[in-house]
This record gives sequence, C-alpha cells and structure tokens, in this order.
Amino acid sequence: MLRDDLREMLREQFDFRELLCQMTARDLLLRYKQTVMGFAWALLMPLLNTAIFSFVFMRVAPIQTRVAYPLFAYCGLLAWNFTASALRFSVTSLTSNTNLVTKVYFPREIFPFSAVAVSFVDYAIAATVLVALMIYYRVAPSSAILLLPMVVAVHVMFTAALALLLAMANLFYRDVKYLFDVFLTVWMFASAVVYPIDAVGGRVGALIRANPMTGMVEAYRSVLLYGAAPDPASFAWTTAVTVILLPSAWLLFHRCEFRFAENI
Amino acid sequence: MRRVIFDGVWKAFRRGERHDSLRDLLPALVRRSLGRQRAVSENVFWALKDVSFDVQAGEALGIIGRNGAGKSTVLKLLTRILKPTRGSCAVVGRSGALIEIAAGFHPDLTGRENVYLQGAIMGMRRAEIAARFDDIVEFAGIEPFVDTQVKRYSSGMNARLGFSIAAHLSPDVLLIDEVLSVGDMAFQEKCQARMKQFRDNGVAIVFVSHYLPAVARLCNKVLLLDQGATVRLGTPPSIIAEYCSGSRASDENDVAIKARLRRSRADRVDDTFEVAAGERLNLDVTVQFRVEVEQATLGVVVWDLTRELYVYGASSDFVGVPPIRARAGDLRTFSFTFDANLTRGLYAIELNVVDADRHRFLGIARGIIHFQVVEQISYDGIANLYLAGREGASVHDLRQAHPGIAR
Repeated sequence: MLRDDLREMLREQFDFRELLCQMTARDLLLRYKQTVMGFAWALLMPLLNTAIFSFVFMRVAPIQTRVAYPLFAYCGLLAWNFTASALRFSVTSLTSNTNLVTKVYFPREIFPFSAVAVSFVDYAIAATVLVALMIYYRVAPSSAILLLPMVVAVHVMFTAALALLLAMANLFYRDVKYLFDVFLTVWMFASAVVYPIDAVGGRVGALIRANPMTGMVEAYRSVLLYGAAPDPASFAWTTAVTVILLPSAWLLFHRCEFRFAENI
Repeated sequence: MRRVIFDGVWKAFRRGERHDSLRDLLPALVRRSLGRQRAVSENVFWALKDVSFDVQAGEALGIIGRNGAGKSTVLKLLTRILKPTRGSCAVVGRSGALIEIAAGFHPDLTGRENVYLQGAIMGMRRAEIAARFDDIVEFAGIEPFVDTQVKRYSSGMNARLGFSIAAHLSPDVLLIDEVLSVGDMAFQEKCQARMKQFRDNGVAIVFVSHYLPAVARLCNKVLLLDQGATVRLGTPPSIIAEYCSGSRASDENDVAIKARLRRSRADRVDDTFEVAAGERLNLDVTVQFRVEVEQATLGVVVWDLTRELYVYGASSDFVGVPPIRARAGDLRTFSFTFDANLTRGLYAIELNVVDADRHRFLGIARGIIHFQVVEQISYDGIANLYLAGREGASVHDLRQAHPGIAR
C-alpha cells in the first residue's frame, strides 16, 4: 500500500515533468509581463533588508560577525528569502487555481512545487549579488564550496515539504494564510538570519538552534563565507528533519489529493 | 476492448455546514465532542447511486439527465478529480478530458503560450504540441491573433482554441462535457465532425450534454440518469424519447390508442427508427373507445424531441375523415400518410382523440412513436424546404428535379 503510493507519486511527477516546467515558466513569464521591474524584484527584498539590518547592527547596536556584516546579512537573508517567498507563494497555490483543481486532473503537487521552483529562480538571480559582495569584501571561497550543492538540495527539499503542507492546509482552512504571515515574521527572527547564533545563549539559544532554518542558514555561511564544512550537529539535525518531513508531507498530500476538488 | 469501466459506483458528498476556516472548525470540534453534532449520515448527499456502464473502443456513450442528475460527477470520477465512495471506475489508456476546455488558459498569456500550457495540462509533450501547433491554430481559426493575449479574445475564440487543442490530442478515451454549446454553428459542426472522426478511429467517447441533437448524432448508446440513479441505458432514439416525454405523461382514460409507423414500401420502420429526409411514411392508428361519443376527431402532432418544438399539428377532420361516432367498446382503425420533410433530428408523434362536441380530450398518447431523420447534408432549422439553386436566371422550377420531393 505504502510502496504503491510512493511509486505512484514518483511516476506521476515523472509523467508530468514537463507540466511542472510549463507552470513554472508561466508564473515567471506572468511576473515579467505584469510588473515593470520584472526580475529586479528578486533582488529588491534581500537588498533592502540587508540595508536596514546593516544600519541597525552596524550603527545602532553594533554586533561582531566573522565577515563584514552586510555580507553576513545578505547571505542569510538570501537563503531565508527563498524559503519565505516560496512558502508565501505556495500557501495560496491551490486556492488561487480553483479552476484547474476542480476541472482538470494532474498531480496537484505541481502547484506547490512550481511555487518553489519560481522562487528558486529568484534565488539564483539574487545569488549574483552575493558573488558581487564577496568580491567587494574580498572573501574567497575555499574547497568547502563543493558542499554547496548538498546544502542547496536539503534547503529545497525542506522548503518543498513545507510548501506541500501549507498549500493543503490553506485549501481546507482558509485562515492558514493569515496565520502563516504572522508566523513568518516571528520565524525569521527565530532563525539566526540577521545575527550570529553564537551571540545567543541559554534556553532561548537552544530553542533557536532547534529551529531547522538556523542550521540551514548557518550551513550556507560556513560553506560560502567561512570556508568550512557546516557545523555537523546543527546541519545533521536540519537534514534529519527534512528527510523525515518530505516523504511524510508528500504522502499525506497524495492521500488527501482526491478530496481537494470537493473542499476547495 | 473495454476502455471505460464504471462498476457499481456510488458517490457521496457532504452537505450542510462545512468548516473552511480554523475559526469555524474549533467551535465545531467542541460541539461534536460534546455530542451535539447531528449524525454524519444526515449530512450526506448521494450524487451517484450504483451506476454501471462500460464503453468499448470506437463507441460513444452519451449521458443525459436534468441538472443535478449526476452527469458531471461521472466525468469527474473518470478524470480522477473525484474518487468513488463505493465501487470502482477506470479508464484504460491515455485519456483526454474536455471538461472545461479553456480551464487552463491564463488571460495575460498569449494564444501561443496558452497552447503550450494547456497542452501540457492535458498531458502532451512539448515536442508533440510543437509538431501540431500550426494545425491547432488553423483549426481554431485564430491565426492572426496567435500572439495576442487571451484576455483580448472573444469568448468564441477562447472556446475554439480550447477545443482545438483537445482535438489534436491523440487519446484512447475522450471525456467531453458540454463543449458543443460554445462557438458558432459552423464551429460546432466542425467539432462534431472531429468527434465522429475520433470515434470512427477507435477512440472511446463519454459525452455529457444537454444538447440532445448532438447526443443523437454522435452516440451509439445513451445513459439516462435521474437524481444519481440509472433510469435506463439504451439506444439514443429510445432513451432520448423517454427523457423528452418523461414530463408529459400519456392520459388515456376514455380511449386506448395504439399506433405504428410504416415506410411506404417496407413493412415497418426498423428498430433504429431511421428515416430519410422527405421519405413518405404511413401511420396506422387503432383507437379503442371506452365511452360513447357522437363526434370525435383524431389529432396528429409531431414534436421535435431534441429541441422541444411543436413542429406540426393536424386533425382527422382537416384531411377529410368524417367525424367519428362510436360506442363504448368500439375498436376503430385509421391510416394516415405524411412526408418527413424535416431536417435531421429526433421526432415524436403524439396522438389525441377529442370529443368535438364538448371540446374535451378523450385521450392523449405521447411518446409511443418516435423516429430519427437522417441525411447527409445538415440543414439548420426544422422544416426541410429542399432549397435548390444554380447560377444565372432561370425560368424553370429547379425543384422539379429534386428526387426527394413527392409532388
């Protein structure tokens, strides 16, 4: 039963792989057509946030970081922004496509997955600014950068798992979207995105370390900026959460799928 | 080969209060745990009750019924949008669904972009769509607008493009819902021709429609549903006639009317009830009187079943049959002749006996005779006026040459 479901899930994704590309292309194309700035939006959010936090943590309340603060913050915000925008987009991915959900059949995972894919394209675009900052601050990557694909893979899978859960939750309960907006704000500050995790100790520090996004963001900084492998304990925790979360979220999604059309 | 299998399917929907926000859910959970929630069974609505059928390759099944009969639910189960509550259904092979042909269109994308998107939604590969792109656009007749945003299209163009994409799939099974009610007459004809072509090439078709003429033309068999249950599964003329006459029951209190239709040459119209346009038909009627009557007349009315139109009405006294005087228990026979000067479609004959003195119906027989007019060329409308023509002025009556006309 379980094995049949898993096989069906993967086969469907394989059969409809072109649709995933098409849906992603559709959303990218639409944004490019509908907004004046097009892909510049991808850069705006992390840049603006970096400027704000640089002002706060360099002028108002200076804190010590291993690399220049703007570089530190941009790296964190870049990674955070991918997860945040992918999830913000996928929460409504099913409910804003009512017509397709009720009238046509194809694997519904395509909706949250394409939301993640669209945000990933933004992520890649915004990453060019990180490269520019690294050059500006003369931070050269070491061989640790070879671990980057692994970090990115875990990050995408973690985000995809949450995207599935949120899209489904918002289909059944429409206020999930509003709750999630509130949660995102809290979550960012609980994820050591704009401050170093070493700066927080005690019980609060332990809580922040238990948050999988902390390990995620720190792993990026390690392989890109510090030239070291990710901290084994925290990255292993993030990976473990991802490895358990993705298959269970997907399976749950798949088994609820046939109720979507009746409940949307 | 069985392409569509629908085996004892039941489908329930929940009815009544539904919690689509957490704010509603929490109080409802509390109420349920306190036992104040009504039993779940009271909130269940059965959209389908034990429906079974199958469709072979090269067959077309029509599904008809009033609104809420469960027609669309059948299609949604076949496309896997819904799952049956009990029973099983399956589609063997690649299925193409035309449930809402333009569902995947995005108004801000161009026709070209939408063709690729919609094609992918229907399960086509990019290379397949690219290979058929020109055909799709040509079939839809939107060549000049292919790079225009779809929001600037008329609804007709939208529908034409949607159908055209679906028409260029190469499915084993085609599921169609009401698509023929869109577009102009000429395009509808084109769609129907295309679907017939699919059927003749071995595609299994399930066709849901309110538009009965299309059902009559395309389908080999028809399923009549009423409130989720199967009323009958059979040949198109008989099922459509049953559906159309369902609301007008016969009333034969004072007389019993029997009738049959014969071709002028053959003994009787065969089981398919198919007659050619303009064919001369004989109608034999027997009336058994249960009451005494001084002056009765026999009325013959022809209905266009699929369009629900009153086509023709005449009475026995119009055509020189003397008023009928009868006693209770008398059995009388009458014969009539008429020409089926009709366009293609499905027709029913209604017979009535009227007491001319008292202006009262003694009995009406409805839905006992029906026939289908078939013809190669499809004229619009009901009456076949045998239009003839040629270029240039003429003093001759061109219609004299028409073989179909009797006089």
